[in-house]
Amino acid sequence: MKTDNREPESPAAESPSEAPAGRSLWSHAWRQLRRMPLAVASFWVIAVYLAMALYGEGVYWACRWQDATPPYQRTCLEEEYLPPSPFRRPFALQPDAGAADRAPAARLAAGLRALARHPLGTDNLGRDVLQRAVQGARIAFQVGIVTACIAMPIGILLGCLAGYFGGRVDDAIVWIYTTFSSIPGMLFILAIALVVGKGLSGVYVGIGLTTWVGLCRLMRGEVMKHKSRPYVQAARALGFAPARIMFRHILPNVAHLVIISFSLRFPAAISTEVFMSFLGIGVQGEPSWGIMISNARLRLWQGAWWEMAVVTAAIFFVVLAFNLLGDALRDALDPRLRTSEG
Amino acid sequence: MKRYILRRLLQMAPTVLGVVVLTFVLFHMVGGSPASLALGKNASARALEEFDEQRGFNKPLLIGRWSPTRAYGGGGFDRDAGPWRGLEGVRHLPAAGRDPGRISLEAGREVAAPLAFGLRPDTEHQWRLRYRLPAGRALVRIESAQAEGAVRSRQTHVLPASARWRTASIPVAPGRAPAGLRTVLRAEGAGLELRSIELRRRNAHWLDTQFVFYLRQLARLDFGVSNFTNQRVSRMLRDGLGPSLCLTVPIFLVSLAVSVSLALVCAYFRNRWLDRSIVILAVGLMSVNYLVWIIFGQYYLAFRRGWFPIWGFESWTCLLLPVLIGVVSGLGENARFYRTLMLDELYRDYVRTAMAKGASPGRVLFVHVLKNAMIPILTHVVIAIPFLYTGSLLLEGFFGIPGLGSMGINAVNAADVDVIRALVLIGSILYVAANLMTDLCYALVDPRVKLG
Repeated sequence: MKTDNREPESPAAESPSEAPAGRSLWSHAWRQLRRMPLAVASFWVIAVYLAMALYGEGVYWACRWQDATPPYQRTCLEEEYLPPSPFRRPFALQPDAGAADRAPAARLAAGLRALARHPLGTDNLGRDVLQRAVQGARIAFQVGIVTACIAMPIGILLGCLAGYFGGRVDDAIVWIYTTFSSIPGMLFILAIALVVGKGLSGVYVGIGLTTWVGLCRLMRGEVMKHKSRPYVQAARALGFAPARIMFRHILPNVAHLVIISFSLRFPAAISTEVFMSFLGIGVQGEPSWGIMISNARLRLWQGAWWEMAVVTAAIFFVVLAFNLLGDALRDALDPRLRTSEG
Repeated sequence: MKRYILRRLLQMAPTVLGVVVLTFVLFHMVGGSPASLALGKNASARALEEFDEQRGFNKPLLIGRWSPTRAYGGGGFDRDAGPWRGLEGVRHLPAAGRDPGRISLEAGREVAAPLAFGLRPDTEHQWRLRYRLPAGRALVRIESAQAEGAVRSRQTHVLPASARWRTASIPVAPGRAPAGLRTVLRAEGAGLELRSIELRRRNAHWLDTQFVFYLRQLARLDFGVSNFTNQRVSRMLRDGLGPSLCLTVPIFLVSLAVSVSLALVCAYFRNRWLDRSIVILAVGLMSVNYLVWIIFGQYYLAFRRGWFPIWGFESWTCLLLPVLIGVVSGLGENARFYRTLMLDELYRDYVRTAMAKGASPGRVLFVHVLKNAMIPILTHVVIAIPFLYTGSLLLEGFFGIPGLGSMGINAVNAADVDVIRALVLIGSILYVAANLMTDLCYALVDPRVKLG
């Protein structure tokens, strides 16, 4: 991945210590990761979530294309508060009219039919909980990816510039990120979102503009270290431009930091989105996990527990998988980071 | 030591300045009009102007002599005639070709420009018109009337004909009792087309700007007035600080004690089943959403089981559940972090030496390792202190604790710019101060660190 095919002699010169047996850092890390069952399991969990998110995206665009009400918004007042179980029509909220004069077998069959339609039950408006949770996964992945796309270029660029040039440039960039990092994170995100406006764009910009600091700091330190390595000095002696040295020579050697930082930021971005949507300044008019929580919270007091349970489980497993995978990646790629990334 | 503190204080200055500039940029330059954010879309021009006047938003941003007013609405005629709509002899022409949307005044007819509100008599104003007049000339008459009908003074300006768009600036001298100001336009010879019309206000001097106003406000420790509750923000901060600290200080202390002890247990039994299960548990705890902890605790422990009061801030029992939730939700992350710190220390040379000399594992762990691990722990702890003051944004809202956290959430929901700005500013200044504190603590704890 990091080797440059057009310059066959450069990889060996670039990392003499890392590739004694002709194995790059990446293939070494890959082998190591494949031996960790937890890492493999979390990888598959994330793959399943990603598939759900893609399916949700497909449903969303298909319904927009056909101008139809998407299944996660379809309300059905006869089927409100359906639990994910065939046996019990629940509680006083929805007295099942005529349940008494039906035979138990018929009741079970009706329950099974309802369960087949809504495997995880319905909410207070009869909307399918499973479909809404899938949409939540879609939003979560969108937020994770878009915020990374905002934060990573900023962090990488500023970190490389500061580490490579030093001096005044370094001072200026350190000043910028010290300023950003000294503002209390959550309030800063909320303030940016307030200024940008309600909706997903506020979430993107808010999270994106505040989370580049950690990566920038990390990159700066690492680039500084690499600056004095022989391969960079050789590139300089050959008269290469600073941009080429930074981005073609140094960056591939520190790119693992980007991967690690991405996998560790992802769950944080998801949690922040949930928090903001819960407060009502995040996603508008579409189901997201935060909106489902704020909806389910009120129903919980009436005894409808399943929407809450489904969202909790959905968030729990994806965040857990990312946490485990991030740890595994960090151990495989750069164990030194264990304390510095917290 | 004194010199070191002084130098560090000087180093803090750029960061504080950066935060001030950043909040300024965020809330003044990017955020659109704070007045329409706070008062809504349908507020009258007069109310918006008064709001801006009170908070200094009607001045230029960084430097400048003139500032726009809302006396003629938005000024441009891109979409419609604005306040000129329905006046006799005025027609709105939509954008066509290179010409933007504009209004056209019929030749030979006097049209009085509609003014949204009276002007302040003590300041100088200026009219700016972008106009086009193919032939003839146009007259602008500025009349100010003291009482109804009785015209006291009169200024007349002539706009020469111009086939291209042209800008005219007409001064309106102060002291002409502009409360009854009336501006009459009359085109002679051909129809007068107006592209924009605005009234600008002259400021006292070049630096009479929003930024300077903001800095002076901060220097007086005046954080402005909440749009939502109409209280002074500094007073709200004072009132909210106590409840916030009541909540966050116990959370902070308890979770520190619990997680450091857990980390010590892990370090003692490292790589055995107890350590491993604690680590797995910690990762699991980390992955449960914060909201879920709160909702579960409030619903199950308080409502269903009735072990705790559900809501309120009357007695100390009301704080038990929020503190418990705060501790549990942060426990996973903290325990894991401290465990890593301890393990980093465990493989140092001095530990091997102590073991070789025959010290018991317990003594090595609790005396040698803990003492050395205190340094990174202290950094972590001191840096966390500034975050205590905002309380916990969500916990306070859920449990009805009238602290700064719930205040912040309300402010975000009500778009209360001044409150959020104050919270952000104070939080960052405390953070910068805490950074200084950590460095000083290093010197106190670690004799190897020399300051100077």
